[in-house]
Amino acid sequence: MHFAGVDIGSTMTKVVLIDKSDNQLSCIKGPTGPEHRRLANEVMRQALQQASLQIDDISYIIATGYGRLNVPFADRQITELSCHARGVSTLFPGVRTAIDIGGQDAKCMRIHDGRLISFVMNDKCAAGTGRFLEVTATALGIKLEDMGDISLKATKRIHISNLCTIFAQQEVIALLSRGEKPENIVAGLHDALASRVAALARRLGIEPDLVLTGGVAKNIGMVRAMKDSLGCEVLVPEEPLITGALGAAILAKEIYTKAVEAGQVLPTKSRRLEKATFFAEEHR
Amino acid sequence: MSDKSKGLNKAREIYSNNSQRARELKAAGKKIIGYPCVYVPLELLTALDLVPYRTCGDIKEPVTEADRALPHSFCPIMRNCLDCALKGKNDFLDGMVTIHSCDPQEKTARIWESYTNYPYFHFIDMPVTVRPEALEYFKSQLNDFRKTLEAFTGKKLPKDKLEAAIKSYNQQRTLVRELYELTKPSPPRISGTEIVQVVKALTSLPVSEGNDLLTEVIGEVKSRTDVPEKKLTRLLIWSSTLDDADIMQVFEDKANVVMNESCGGIRAYRAAVKSTYDPLEGLASYYLNEITCARTFRQATPGETGKDYARDLQSRFGYLKGIIRDWKISGAVMLLVRYCDPFAFEMPSLKDYFDSIGVPSTYIEYDYTTGALAPLRTRAEAFLETISQ
Amino acid sequence: MADEKKKTINRLKSMYPLRAKVNETYLKSVEAIQAGKPAVWAMLNFYYGDPVLKAMDVEVVYPENYGAIAAAMGVAREYLDRADAEGFPTHLCGYSLTTLGYASRMMKELKGQIPPEAPLGGMPKPLFLMSSAAICDARYKWFQALGRYMDAPVWPLEAPIPGIKEFFIEGYYGRMVKLGVKHLRDFVAFVEKMVGKKMDWDKLDKTANLMIEVNRVWHEINELRKVNPCPMHSRDFWSAMPAALFLAGDLEDSLRLYQDMYKEVKDRVNSHIGAVPNEKYRLVFAELPPWHSLSFFDKLAERGWNFVIESFGYHPPIPLDLSKVSDPLERITKFSLQFLVGYYEDARKQNVLGGTSAYPYLKYAKEWKCDGAILHPLISCRSASTHLPYVSDMLMEKLKVPSLSIEGDIVDLRLFNPEDALAKAEPFEESMEHYRKVRKQEGLDW
Repeated sequence: MHFAGVDIGSTMTKVVLIDKSDNQLSCIKGPTGPEHRRLANEVMRQALQQASLQIDDISYIIATGYGRLNVPFADRQITELSCHARGVSTLFPGVRTAIDIGGQDAKCMRIHDGRLISFVMNDKCAAGTGRFLEVTATALGIKLEDMGDISLKATKRIHISNLCTIFAQQEVIALLSRGEKPENIVAGLHDALASRVAALARRLGIEPDLVLTGGVAKNIGMVRAMKDSLGCEVLVPEEPLITGALGAAILAKEIYTKAVEAGQVLPTKSRRLEKATFFAEEHR
Repeated sequence: MSDKSKGLNKAREIYSNNSQRARELKAAGKKIIGYPCVYVPLELLTALDLVPYRTCGDIKEPVTEADRALPHSFCPIMRNCLDCALKGKNDFLDGMVTIHSCDPQEKTARIWESYTNYPYFHFIDMPVTVRPEALEYFKSQLNDFRKTLEAFTGKKLPKDKLEAAIKSYNQQRTLVRELYELTKPSPPRISGTEIVQVVKALTSLPVSEGNDLLTEVIGEVKSRTDVPEKKLTRLLIWSSTLDDADIMQVFEDKANVVMNESCGGIRAYRAAVKSTYDPLEGLASYYLNEITCARTFRQATPGETGKDYARDLQSRFGYLKGIIRDWKISGAVMLLVRYCDPFAFEMPSLKDYFDSIGVPSTYIEYDYTTGALAPLRTRAEAFLETISQ
Repeated sequence: MADEKKKTINRLKSMYPLRAKVNETYLKSVEAIQAGKPAVWAMLNFYYGDPVLKAMDVEVVYPENYGAIAAAMGVAREYLDRADAEGFPTHLCGYSLTTLGYASRMMKELKGQIPPEAPLGGMPKPLFLMSSAAICDARYKWFQALGRYMDAPVWPLEAPIPGIKEFFIEGYYGRMVKLGVKHLRDFVAFVEKMVGKKMDWDKLDKTANLMIEVNRVWHEINELRKVNPCPMHSRDFWSAMPAALFLAGDLEDSLRLYQDMYKEVKDRVNSHIGAVPNEKYRLVFAELPPWHSLSFFDKLAERGWNFVIESFGYHPPIPLDLSKVSDPLERITKFSLQFLVGYYEDARKQNVLGGTSAYPYLKYAKEWKCDGAILHPLISCRSASTHLPYVSDMLMEKLKVPSLSIEGDIVDLRLFNPEDALAKAEPFEESMEHYRKVRKQEGLDW
């Protein structure tokens, strides 16, 4: 028996395949691109190839992420919040608080016994998301992935307005023209984003262990800034992008196993790897 | 609308094309008066044979025209309403009645009056407390409203006609409560989405037609076999305005919304206007005291010189307890329309109240555009996942 | 506060003692509070509740003003984050979030002690809260929300706001007065209970009269600014305003100091002395100034920009003879109502119905002969921003006066970008020049 989790996020599509003992058989990330919802089948095909499996070998598939409604071969949809919570607690059984900072949103989750108990999200404003760093990196003329290392060279803390990404971008330019060192500005940007996300997390109450996931968790400067803003240790999984897909796969296994034990047959979708359709076409 | 459609089908048709009946009545010689908020006492309009029509927003309509008059960080519903008006969507109106129920209502009213040219336009001021002097002032406001309507129609408003209108609206309130009785069973006999359509239809029909529609709907729902599917969670949604079926459907895909405590649901129908010697007295008291919108300042005892938080919460939100018990609510959503100050300030306190009575709740914010539907869905579903696992 | 290297604006000498008096009063008040004197938290209430509090001799702190102080001193951020963490939506008024975060810190974390980081002595736990329904919803809902942190009772002052046409329905004004007087009488009884002493009605009578007279003189000073060149800049207005608007300080002192100011301004008028060296453009400013970047105005003064009128919400009511009104509560009520309805007759004549706080700007632009308007919408203060697009539209439509909108915020001070704003000065001058010609063609007299 094998299970799959498909996480269709705004920038990346992630697929994780597991067996009945939770062993990870494959893990594929693909850039989503503008027509992201159409790529789910392609990422799935690669994942199957890596695990040397056929699509019919998969007993149950759960889709998650913003594109979850549009995966034609998925048997069930569960929100990325529940999936992240499940994925993170598989990797860190003691987790109580999880923060996921993605390209378009930030999610803070409280977790108890591996289950999501409460959450807050920010997706209304880029200032609290990975997009904030993306935009400001462009203004600084540096690569997003280099920001972490650059920030470690900072010699002083600069306060950046955290109200609006567009204004922050202008502020970065103004700081540069005033002769401020890029590393100090980058560190200031990390602090600004971290304080924004930390305030969001405080709405839920922060309890350790705390785990940070999402693309931003790969940025060492951001991890450090989050530690400072939250005032507690920040754990980061080896592969911080796939916790949603992993959680989806594990939930798929749990739901399927429970049904089998109860003697139920779960309805499943056709196992043809079709292209996904757009939200609007499929749903309305 | 087709002449044959009845009950829920008819409500859905009116909902989808909600100015059609008003246009027909206008063509037949009636005068149509718009109103943007349920605090406007429609009884006075009806008693003078005017047809009230609630000017709503449309989440599918991108706001463009209203930009010249209202900033972006402003109640998106009122921006949308004004936008529709400036685009001529309410061009059949003979007038507008606006009211100071909240800042966005008051501010939009001024702009609306300034940029449009209806034969009749009136603004009713409204106090924020329920103190006796405030009530008296509000009653005098309703009396002024009466005078301007009399001047506009050239007719005196006889007491018996006003009393008859009050009776009709009280009947409407009773019927809506009866409709909500039908969400008490599990599964409910009528969905929250259907009720949104019915209530919105009511606000665009003359009261007698609304009451006929309600009677048909109630009869149909009582005997229907195709009741909504039973979901794991029975939701209460508390909001300023939830009047859009697509938004409601986002919640109902995974839950039964058995109570919509907003002015797109039960809020304007929960009580009845009391019969008083001067009908304006009963009307003033009903509209100021009985509609449970966050715009009114309520406290345990008016003018109290001590404060107890638990009592304070009780005085502001206590009415929800009975709803939660009677409708067997298993989860509550505080659905905030962005930039709505009166409701936004309530959020942490209402959360405290829900916690105190053991109801899981969540706070979700959206901006009254179709772009909000996808994020709304994620939040709604994640909340339902947390309480139903 | 931003540094002020070059001061081009010719400030009024009489402003400094007035300002010093206000500051001295503030410090005295802090001392009194620290010595245990009860304090009340109040919202700006436009001359309605303040005279009562003043006559009852309680110390008053204004969280709105404190929000501005906290922002300027750089401590607002901590309180804002705290309010966010408590679940208050971040798009609420920045001052309200500052107060809520402050109250949470003081009551939940410090058991009622004033936070050590709080600037200017902080705000102590209040005896009660006096909110006001005037101008915005936030101002009564915010004090209600404080109930989550403190057991202080709240009195929300009613503030009727009629429509411009509706105000002229027979008997309307009388009904507003009736509401106001009855409401105020009950408020006095409430304050008496809270403070534990009876109202000294003679003192209230005297306080009311002084308040009215102070504001009359203050009004007359501003009338003198209609001349060319304008003798007093908006900066002096903002510096001098608290003594009249918040009744800060001893009212007899204030009266004398405003009279001195009147003399100085009058002298300048007679000697044709302007507030900026070479007045080229006369401007009106709406609404709240960028408190932390006021040196911005000096840079504009170098270009010959004189700000001759400003901030309707801070201006004294148009004088009204209330000497025959014997009941001080009625006098206070009428004076307070006059703040708003003083403009109504004019607004109706001009058929400008779009907003009670919008009309004054038309009057200002016309009577103070302005070439342009600077509008300062604030991201988290809707009440000071909502009417500005309309103001801009009306100024152009009715008077051919162009507007320049410069965004800012009340707590996120960095949002206001002086460099960016200054970069717009030159093109705006072209626009002002152009519309001077247009006004001339249309027969407008400036």
